[in-house]
Amino acid sequence: MAAVAALYPQFKQLNAEVLAISTDSVYAHKVFKDISPSVRNVQYPLVSDRNQQISRAYRVFDETAGVALRGTVIIDPEGIIIAKLIYPREVGRNTHEILRLLQAIQYGRQTGLGVPANWVPGMTGIQRRTEDIGRI
Amino acid sequence: MNQKPTAAQIAAHSMPFMATRGDIAPTFSAEAYVNNQIKTLKLEDFLGKWTVLFFYSSDFTFV
Repeated sequence: MAAVAALYPQFKQLNAEVLAISTDSVYAHKVFKDISPSVRNVQYPLVSDRNQQISRAYRVFDETAGVALRGTVIIDPEGIIIAKLIYPREVGRNTHEILRLLQAIQYGRQTGLGVPANWVPGMTGIQRRTEDIGRI
Repeated sequence: MNQKPTAAQIAAHSMPFMATRGDIAPTFSAEAYVNNQIKTLKLEDFLGKWTVLFFYSSDFTFV
């Protein structure tokens, strides 16, 4: 949560909004925000998926544990899912990668170029030219 | 019964909705805690913006 909060201004710069979602109640969210140092600086909404519908609809519900998986879903401005990542229970997310993914999608859409592996902002994309097929 | 499903068996079934790349994001309306207030948020409120959903298991956990 704090890791996302640290990058939140950069998400905003990319015209992106962040929603954190768990099956806890909004009352739990409030107390969590009030007392936990790691979420004190969180500015984005903590959504309560109390009836588990959102987690189930996005196919990130763990039936055994009764909670949401550590899933990340990127949705474009038209409401289409562009990427979905599921992390193990024991491992936290790489929030820098999620930001990079968003930057890469936007770069690809703005330039029409292909975005190569390990692309980071500042690097160029790849022209999709028929004559280059088999040459890259 | 211990047999693991094979790719051939799985491939024979039609694919259910998996909420993955290229799918329409299911819309929802839910309560949220934001700016020290409880508000009702709708996913449609964010149309025109990129939206990143961070699902997590539970408040007050370590990771």
